[in-house]
Amino acid sequence: MRNIVILAGSSHPILAEQIASRLGEPLGRVELSKFSNKETNVEIRESVREKDVYIVQSGCGHVNDNLMELLIMISACKTASAARVTAVIPCFPYARQPDAPYKRNGAMLSRIPKNAFFGYTFDSTPVNSMPPSPSVETRDPFTAALSRIEENSSSSSISPTDNNRSGHCGTQTPTNQFGGYKHWIARSGTLVANLLTCAGADHIMTMDLHDPQFQGFFDIPVDNLYGQPLMIKYIKENIPNWAQAVMVSPDAGGAKRATAIADILRMDFALIHKERRSQHQPHKSDMMLVGHVKDKVCILIDDIADTSITITKAARVLVDNGAQKVYAIITHAIMSGDAIKRIQSSVIDQIIVSNSIPQEDHLQQCLKIRVFNIAPIFAEAIRRMHNGESVSALFNVTDLI
Amino acid sequence: MSSTNSIKIFAGNSHVELAKLVARRIGIELCKVAVIKYSNQETCVTIGESVRDEDVFIIQSGCGEINDNLMELLIMINACKTASARRITAVIPCFPYARQDKKDKSRAPITAKLVANMLTVAGANHVITVDLHASQIQGFFNVPVDNLYSEPSMLRYIKAEITGWTNTIIVSPDAGGAKRATAIADRLNLDFALIHKERKIANEVSRMVLVGDVRGKVAILIDDMADTCGTLALAASTLKENGATKVLAIVAHGILSGKAIEVINKSCLERVVVTNTIPHDDKKAVCPKIHTIDISATLAEAIRRTHNGESVSFLFSHAPE
Repeated sequence: MRNIVILAGSSHPILAEQIASRLGEPLGRVELSKFSNKETNVEIRESVREKDVYIVQSGCGHVNDNLMELLIMISACKTASAARVTAVIPCFPYARQPDAPYKRNGAMLSRIPKNAFFGYTFDSTPVNSMPPSPSVETRDPFTAALSRIEENSSSSSISPTDNNRSGHCGTQTPTNQFGGYKHWIARSGTLVANLLTCAGADHIMTMDLHDPQFQGFFDIPVDNLYGQPLMIKYIKENIPNWAQAVMVSPDAGGAKRATAIADILRMDFALIHKERRSQHQPHKSDMMLVGHVKDKVCILIDDIADTSITITKAARVLVDNGAQKVYAIITHAIMSGDAIKRIQSSVIDQIIVSNSIPQEDHLQQCLKIRVFNIAPIFAEAIRRMHNGESVSALFNVTDLI
Repeated sequence: MSSTNSIKIFAGNSHVELAKLVARRIGIELCKVAVIKYSNQETCVTIGESVRDEDVFIIQSGCGEINDNLMELLIMINACKTASARRITAVIPCFPYARQDKKDKSRAPITAKLVANMLTVAGANHVITVDLHASQIQGFFNVPVDNLYSEPSMLRYIKAEITGWTNTIIVSPDAGGAKRATAIADRLNLDFALIHKERKIANEVSRMVLVGDVRGKVAILIDDMADTCGTLALAASTLKENGATKVLAIVAHGILSGKAIEVINKSCLERVVVTNTIPHDDKKAVCPKIHTIDISATLAEAIRRTHNGESVSFLFSHAPE
């Protein structure tokens, strides 16, 4: 191929190397380092003038540093007269903070420390002292979560209520009679999309975006590749007796994803559902299984495993309901905090992840992990994009691998 | 204040102390915001009060974990913009990536321009900063930029804290800073000298050559940034070799990264004076040579005047008490 340059960021050089070797091209020479005061330093060591540049950087590890590095590399290539700059981002950062007011299937990613709001009352006295007219406010789940933390000091991981439950739970949020201000979390999804565009990216390539609507935040084309064909291939090749297994979604939000695969493979399907016990204690929830898994092999499927609380709890529910063996297939295995330990001590028999995030350390710490390689799909997509061919063939053909 | 909206000051995690000083000078409280990290290292910003139609100032310096602090600043600006703030001003005492402002090598990124674009895209309407490395960086922005000077504060420090200042000599540690140093020398009516790095042949170690006479005088080195302090230490020993009795350094931004403290302690510098655009209390604990000039008064005055729509030019030649 002519006029193509593939640059690797420092987040996942191994994947970039594999993509480049699949394409039969050497990686472009770039030196990435940090100055003594921690500013990022990017030096591109070969000409990119009038070339088609692909920058491979995943949103993992130290996310802000890698994001800045990516932005600076894009900007450097643009000012060096590259013809087109494509950002290849296997695991997209800040994808779980889109503009939608609720996260449908994500638990809160970490607890807000108890003293984050120490001394704050979150009351704001408006200029005019008339109390606000009663309006139908959908309750902000984060407010509820915060008020629960402030009330009781030992809370486990807190999940926001589901969409359709917002009006019904009766937890009182602390408000004064002036209708105090309800604090809210900033949603950074649009901001990251705008930053990538303003740095000069012409095209974005990613895989299994948590929220497919995220593509609409960009004005530039976004290719959201699917890991599904690779997952299907793995299941057929490595899970014995897969035709009698049950595909399980660990939460209601991922049901669509799980049924899609179950239909293609003609497998049975089950769902794990968080049911709120009582209206007055909405943070105590039961995980209920919908479907039959007794004496069957179960395959849990999800797109992101961060703290791995969801997936390990789901596995426990399956075993309690009589499952014989539990596999888990995850596209993006972030595994932050003590997730690996949790997986090791859970009842999951095998967890299969993609290498969108470097897994070398995880493989050494946990024997249950298997990795499927996404470099071939990205390499094929880059080749087709460079040659101006259609990428749709990648969405369901597995024998290209 | 006669305007209908009020000043709201938010502080990012980079320099809360300075933000508190600024807020106290203006006479208000810092606004409630929680900026933390999720377990996968993504930044999470939660704004604790209403900013609808308010004049918001976000104080965040480009120091420490620069990329994290920059992302925090961008997300806070964006959060205030989507919360319908009337105007958002980014107060960035030490501007990050200011030294990457030109394409001096092939394919070098102009990261300062990228940062300017990012701030504008996130939603900043105004930028206030102190002693930009190159004042031309103001041209990278399409929004108004106030580049405040720490020079009046430095002048006041010299007059108040250096005994016998009328008999000192102002020295610039490199040719690029000559303009800055001569400005101060003229204001104080003092002599001026310059240190020049002479490069003989490509692989040979360059010498430092002093241009000017410092014999028997106290020399004051003036520079805008002190990062690893290699240049300052070398300049100090050159001055001592050429007969200076004492050598002090006054620097606007004391980044002091890497082995800077060791270098300062071993050098023949008697004092290194930095402003508090960058927090350095932990470094002061290990290095008694470091002194601080407080510029929170300048920043507070600039914020107050910006909010009230008054002229800021007063601050270019006077340091508020």
